[in-house]
Amino acid sequence: MTGLVLLALFGGIALAAPLIADRSELLVEAGRYNANLARPSLKFLLGTDEVGRSVLAQLVWGARVSLFIGLFATCVAIVIGSTIGLASGYMKGRIGTLLLAIDDFFLVIPFLPLAIVLAVLLGRSPLIMAFVIGLTSWAGVARLVRAQVLSLSERGYVDRARSLGASRRYIMVHHILPGTMPIIIANATLVVPIAILTESTLSFLGFGDRLSPSWGRLLEGAQSSGSITLNAWWYYLPPGLCIIGVVMAFTLFGRALERVFDPRLAGR
Amino acid sequence: MSGTLLQIRDLHITYRSIDGDVPAVRGVDLDIAAGETVGVAGESGCGKSTIATALLRLLPSSAKVTGSITLDGKDVLALNPGQLRAVRWAGASIVFQGAQHVLNPVHRIDRQINEAIEAHGAASETKAGVLLESVGLKAIRGNDYPHELSGGQKQRVMIAMALACDPLLIIADEPTTALDVMVQAQILDLLDEIKQERGLSMLLITHDLSVLTHNTDRVMMMYAGRIVEEGGAAELMSGSRHPYTKALVKSFPIIGDMASRFNPTGLAGDPPDPAELPSGCAFHPRCAIATDECRVTDVALAALADDASRRVACIHVSGRLL
Amino acid sequence: MSIAFVLKKLLTAVQTLFAVVVFNFFLFRIVDRDPLAKYKGRTKLSPAQRDVMIERMGLNGSKVEQFVAYVKSVVQLDLGRSFDSTRPVVREITDRLPATLLLVGTSTLLTVVIGVAIGARAGWKRGGRFDKVSTASTMVLYSTPEFFFGMLLLAFLAGKTGWFPTGGLHEIGGSDGFFGSVLDTSRHLFLPVITLTLGYLGSYVLIMRTSMLETLSEDYLTTARAKGLRDRDVMRRHAMPNALLPSVSAIAIGFGFVVGGAITTETVFSYPGLGLATSNAISNTDLPMLQALFLFSSASVILFNLAADLLTAVIDPRIRRAR
Repeated sequence: MTGLVLLALFGGIALAAPLIADRSELLVEAGRYNANLARPSLKFLLGTDEVGRSVLAQLVWGARVSLFIGLFATCVAIVIGSTIGLASGYMKGRIGTLLLAIDDFFLVIPFLPLAIVLAVLLGRSPLIMAFVIGLTSWAGVARLVRAQVLSLSERGYVDRARSLGASRRYIMVHHILPGTMPIIIANATLVVPIAILTESTLSFLGFGDRLSPSWGRLLEGAQSSGSITLNAWWYYLPPGLCIIGVVMAFTLFGRALERVFDPRLAGR
Repeated sequence: MSGTLLQIRDLHITYRSIDGDVPAVRGVDLDIAAGETVGVAGESGCGKSTIATALLRLLPSSAKVTGSITLDGKDVLALNPGQLRAVRWAGASIVFQGAQHVLNPVHRIDRQINEAIEAHGAASETKAGVLLESVGLKAIRGNDYPHELSGGQKQRVMIAMALACDPLLIIADEPTTALDVMVQAQILDLLDEIKQERGLSMLLITHDLSVLTHNTDRVMMMYAGRIVEEGGAAELMSGSRHPYTKALVKSFPIIGDMASRFNPTGLAGDPPDPAELPSGCAFHPRCAIATDECRVTDVALAALADDASRRVACIHVSGRLL
Repeated sequence: MSIAFVLKKLLTAVQTLFAVVVFNFFLFRIVDRDPLAKYKGRTKLSPAQRDVMIERMGLNGSKVEQFVAYVKSVVQLDLGRSFDSTRPVVREITDRLPATLLLVGTSTLLTVVIGVAIGARAGWKRGGRFDKVSTASTMVLYSTPEFFFGMLLLAFLAGKTGWFPTGGLHEIGGSDGFFGSVLDTSRHLFLPVITLTLGYLGSYVLIMRTSMLETLSEDYLTTARAKGLRDRDVMRRHAMPNALLPSVSAIAIGFGFVVGGAITTETVFSYPGLGLATSNAISNTDLPMLQALFLFSSASVILFNLAADLLTAVIDPRIRRAR
């Protein structure tokens, strides 16, 4: 599957970052003696940015940041989403309805403005960014999990466990959760691309750590340094293409997983 | 033969799929004369509905159809798209099972009826209303949407729509399934009435044998894609010869006969999976009189010695092997 | 569809809106203990000025008092003053709203028309060449951050070739006459509109295609063919209307989301709308602006959700004339 191959490629690059370029190249000082916005050359394979730093170095190290934020944010979203989805699906009564209402509410709120507001209020480090992105993406997961839980709890073994005296929490964790795992996993791989895109958008808008540039940050740098009109394509093309590549890789992989876990979708 | 409206010869229909070919119809011959009503009965999966859909070439492209279907002198399978569209509804029309979504939920009734008429060129100002009245509905119901009608009313609409282009043949595919018993009787009477008024031929497909007793001239029993018995309706029902027909007739209680209700003699087992047909005679696993020969050799329809209009596909009855 | 139905939907919308207001309040007042710490006005605040600001922003009193005051001010459409420009926030929003509506309206129109056409055809002839090509292309579109399109378009169609202006909405020197200004505005709109359209095209194509695929298995299509209709007419008259129904809802809701500001696109093109305002508010940590913009975009999503519900009820005869 193409997706997997691409993923391996990007993952490999991210891990191999220290081998390709030294971390110190990311510091602003590193660029002091280099030409600014220089074209690609043998020394700088992807040219330099507006303060003379190697674009390639930033790209390669940026892979780590972008992937980390994307994956971490997805974990946050999945954990929150599954918990709420599980609880709202299984617990009838007031708790369940309340959780459903919260879920509905978060589905209505536009996620980008919310992410912006949270990021402004909470801070700009990559970790916080990941949290913020996770906080804005959990609602879809919750909805999906809830639907699955509802259909699973109709099945016989749940009633049997209840009649044997199992507590609600026990049933939720030991019987229902395993049943939802396939859907959660398949959905998780599709949340990652959204998280990565959101990260790139937030970074583009100025969030994120200046010292650990992500791909979105690179694009922001390209935009604000005027490299577009100056035709410094080596600055903005590589990060953009990388984003497209990684997002597509995860999407392809996620769709393939979906087809495996939910045969009804196989014909699409 | 003059007077024969529909002539099907050696019809084979196979569904192609990734997992292999599935034979739905395995060599069927069928004739319908002008003004005649022929019933095709059998359990689900025997291929009867497939024949109905194939008659107007409405099967999906994954279905392979061979043989010949001659309607009013035209070879349906050889028509080009334009000719096919002309024959559809004007040569033969279909009354589908009304329970499913056979009517477009977002179009009004009269629009759907008029659409058929317009597709064949004629203008249609009030014809929809007239057709609705002829099936016992008020013309004003034409303004309604399908979801505003009951099951029986929808079926009447289907019949009205089927008459829109004055067809020669009406194919009624399970017209009474999913209707209440009272409504079933009404619909069958309606079909009868229309048939006689207009001199139409009808192909009546059903799994409910009680429908066939007073509405049809001749009946064909189908099993696993083949016709296993055919003959006049009354004789076939009261004096069935094929083991399958006998068992099936017995399992339908006769209305009014209390004894039959208390002695259900159903047919054990399920119809065979078309993808995995039994060897030899397809019916042998469920047959009360199956012998070793039945398990091995396939059997063909053959006329009875004493009655040429009756044909049976059983070694023990007509003795002809494939 | 009865008055009761409409009222019920309206009530739900108002309830959700209120929840958003509450949420907004909590977010800004409780998460951020001292909002004035982020005030980066032109001069440093003296203690006296600070007190005045606190009073004006309603930051004194208990949380409950603050909340009531906040709700009152929202209802009166007084959303404070921008930290940056010190003009009332509501004015800032209304100044920029038309530009964003123009951009978002035009591009949504394009996206819907093109997306529906492509999606319908791709779904109708599923697995065919058109389907494969369009699905692959939309996947690439979907995976691209929309501002990247903007950057590419800027680079090739504006920077290098100078065919289109690199930003803004009007030429600085003004333009002559009505036609002159229409032409000028169009030239400035062109690239941002294309950017936004490309950015959202993917999801509309997908929605329509899925919708069409679900319609394909319906029996009334067989009835339509049996009646002797051409394939083209079966698609247009029977499949499309039914496939469009669920899409209308999705489309209206999508519009609601985008109105919140095509933030990144406006930033790339320095387009003077709500998106650019958001971008600036971020850079300047202009809290009142951000709070108001968040409220505004949530409100527009709720509004368009409501519109979508009502529109579907009107269009779908099964709801309109429910038994």
